[in-house]
Amino acid sequence: MLAGAGAGVGALFARPAWSAAATAPAARVAVARCMTYGPELLPTMAKMFDQLGGLDRLVKGKTVAVKINLIGVRWQRLGAARMEDTFWSNPRVIGATVHLLGKAGARRIRVVEGPWSTAETLQEVMLSMNWQPQDILNAADQVEFENTNFLGQGKKYSRFMVPGGGLIYPGYDLNHSYEDCDVFVSLAKMKEHAATGVTLSMKNVYGATPITIYGEGAGVDEPSVRPHGGRGGVFHFAKRLPSKSAPQQKDMSLPKDAGYRIPRIVAELCSARPVHLAIIDGVKTATGAETNYGSRPQAAVNPGVLIAGTNCVATDAAAMAVMGFNPLADRGTPPFANSDSMLRLGEDLGIGVRDLSRNEIVGTPIAEVVFSYSAVREKILAAAKKA
Amino acid sequence: MALSAESIPMRWPAGPLDIARREKGKGFSAETAELLRQWQDPASLSVLQGTPVNCLVVGWASGLAADAGQQQALRPLIEKGRQAGIGFVGLIEGEANRPAAVEAAQSAGLSAVAMDGDAPASAAIPVLPRSESAQVRWTANSPVLGIADGLWPGIPQERGQGGGPTNLPWVDSNGAVLRIARALAPDKSVWIDFDPPPQATLTAEAYMLAVADPASYGARWVISLDDKLRADLTANKQPALDTWKKIAGMLDFFERNKQAGNYQAAGLLAVMSNFAGSDWMIGQEALNLSPRLRQPFRVIARSRAAGASFAGLQAIFYVDREPPDAELRRKLVAFAKAGGTLFVPSNWPNPEGPPVPAEPYLLFGLRALGKGRLAVCKEEQPDAYDTVADIQNIMSHRNDLLRLYNAPSMNFFYQTSAEGGRGLIHLLNYSRRPASDGPLFYVQQPHRSARLVSPEIASAAALQWVPQEAGGAELSLPRISVYGAVELEQ
Repeated sequence: MLAGAGAGVGALFARPAWSAAATAPAARVAVARCMTYGPELLPTMAKMFDQLGGLDRLVKGKTVAVKINLIGVRWQRLGAARMEDTFWSNPRVIGATVHLLGKAGARRIRVVEGPWSTAETLQEVMLSMNWQPQDILNAADQVEFENTNFLGQGKKYSRFMVPGGGLIYPGYDLNHSYEDCDVFVSLAKMKEHAATGVTLSMKNVYGATPITIYGEGAGVDEPSVRPHGGRGGVFHFAKRLPSKSAPQQKDMSLPKDAGYRIPRIVAELCSARPVHLAIIDGVKTATGAETNYGSRPQAAVNPGVLIAGTNCVATDAAAMAVMGFNPLADRGTPPFANSDSMLRLGEDLGIGVRDLSRNEIVGTPIAEVVFSYSAVREKILAAAKKA
Repeated sequence: MALSAESIPMRWPAGPLDIARREKGKGFSAETAELLRQWQDPASLSVLQGTPVNCLVVGWASGLAADAGQQQALRPLIEKGRQAGIGFVGLIEGEANRPAAVEAAQSAGLSAVAMDGDAPASAAIPVLPRSESAQVRWTANSPVLGIADGLWPGIPQERGQGGGPTNLPWVDSNGAVLRIARALAPDKSVWIDFDPPPQATLTAEAYMLAVADPASYGARWVISLDDKLRADLTANKQPALDTWKKIAGMLDFFERNKQAGNYQAAGLLAVMSNFAGSDWMIGQEALNLSPRLRQPFRVIARSRAAGASFAGLQAIFYVDREPPDAELRRKLVAFAKAGGTLFVPSNWPNPEGPPVPAEPYLLFGLRALGKGRLAVCKEEQPDAYDTVADIQNIMSHRNDLLRLYNAPSMNFFYQTSAEGGRGLIHLLNYSRRPASDGPLFYVQQPHRSARLVSPEIASAAALQWVPQEAGGAELSLPRISVYGAVELEQ
């Protein structure tokens, strides 16, 4: 504990002058063992939300947006494993979340995501994976879906400015759903990420950015009508600018390295569009990367854990610890071998703290649910070497 | 040997005319000239031993001074080939004196000539019409039609692996054109020409795909080998012999598995067009892009639509700007009224049914029509990808017959037997190397049995159905480099 605290203090001394880390709020994070998406899921999640102080306190009478994760080219699974058991939010976790939000008195619940390069409705994307979207729509009253890759049902994009002026962009234009909501939930998968080390509740918000503005096929002056392409050209590598109608990059001389850019963009987004409830699905997931890269050592795994919190930095820090990583790690240390830590950047922006000793972890002790992603990788590499 | 559906063609570059045509081109060398001379030698025919190739396509007349020399120089080759049961087709191109060239071909004992445009009235041997795909005379009086502008199949290097608008890599395939050919000329054999990309070092798998891409659609590639491979074959170099053996093996495979020729394409969507004039591009592109969206489809020639069955279809995309005649329109509208969705261009006169709400971004405005819908395109010249993507959006994935996972560089198409008890899913891998995971199919209606046949495996492999909680079942396939087909049986 003391060692952890010491590292935290050390990190604070290394901060830039503008850092708001010292005033970033500590938070409570609930951790629970949950091995399957079966009957144990709903009571486990209900208990976790109770441990966080109760969902009703957060959502009663409110409009809630739940940002799920349907990353990547959907036709690329990890072997025969289903997307919901590896890279995507699981429909049962989405359904349970929606149900509990409804039960807690949410007035309206909108499930949102910008799936890769498509204007299809989320229902259609789900159907293409053999899901039953009706199960989610029926999990509570007043449930809607919206594909936030584009204008969707809105009349105009909503602008979110980054408090303090931002690190790369001063602000972002997003689908109206992110402004319509009183409460914003990030429902993420517990995964590693090829460019940013990990992808958890903070990184999940990256997918809120509309392809019509931030995609490779975005309009030059104004957003395109339809989403074409991914976000890599604009966000990862700055090969092109967002549509001119949106806030532009502050300094064009900034590095064009994804490991520099994406963590900053993620931290900015979480600062501009705060997450009120972070839920991380580590029941079944994949190691190695956020989606199937083919060439990477990856495996479908069953860590059997759920993590939730009201602060995305704190929740991600707990998840990192569950994954066997040091949440205080930064560039050069796994999992951030080639990137900056988006958690540290989030801390600098005053979103939350990643030092577990400053946050309150409730429920199952992390030590009881640690699932080492590095160990899985080592095992795969060893098996490959042997073969 | 007479020209027929059984003819298996190969381009046989040889003789003075091919030298004259190529010597002004890039990369021509003394070695190339020597190779072209060697291949006019009857002894070169030994290359064909043990292969199913039985028809050679030779340069015959191009309106060049070398024409006469060519026709003379090839006589021994033709004589020896005919004795071995090999047919010859002479290519007549450019400003050639066509009547004279045809007469010379007849005199030399060629089985046929291939040329663009009308056959000379005096032609006494079969004339194979050969032209660019958009100009093919599908009703020409010939058992074989030639398409001169085929694509070397694969993933185009200049596009990279990054992906096209369909989320998947671009692929160059002849599938769309050959599906059109099958619809417009169902009783004819189609030969498609494409040469190896210049200066490329081609693997055996590249050639195997060049065979499989047309063959899986029921057509034949006019085999065309690159100079290096031909030179190495002539020199009996083992790697070249191995490659040639694999090419011959792929040809053999399709000769042994001809059932696809009698099966009908299956899908919930039908694309209907005359595929001519200004409608060629959008129709052809719709067929080109639909496989990348994993949308199985049928093709219906508008000229044959009156007699076509719409049974089993969920939607019809009527492509042509020219409205259908009254009878066809009645049939199409009746299809929609019975519960189908009819997609039509923006100039569809007096659209039937009242407008109904739809997603504003969609390219199509929707109208209620009985139990079904009329979807009228909002744009006069819509983007082809947006068109097929929105057709898929409006149709919904709910009723997908098949879904293919883990095969980004693959296309598939689906056929069923006339009685419907058997199905065949062709899989073509345009990267020509297996992906990290084997392909995975979702099948809405599992069959009694499923097995994989492929020239890449010694014998057919039984596949296991994995039932899915939400219905349907999945089939995991082994990794495929170039081609495989899943045979389904009820």
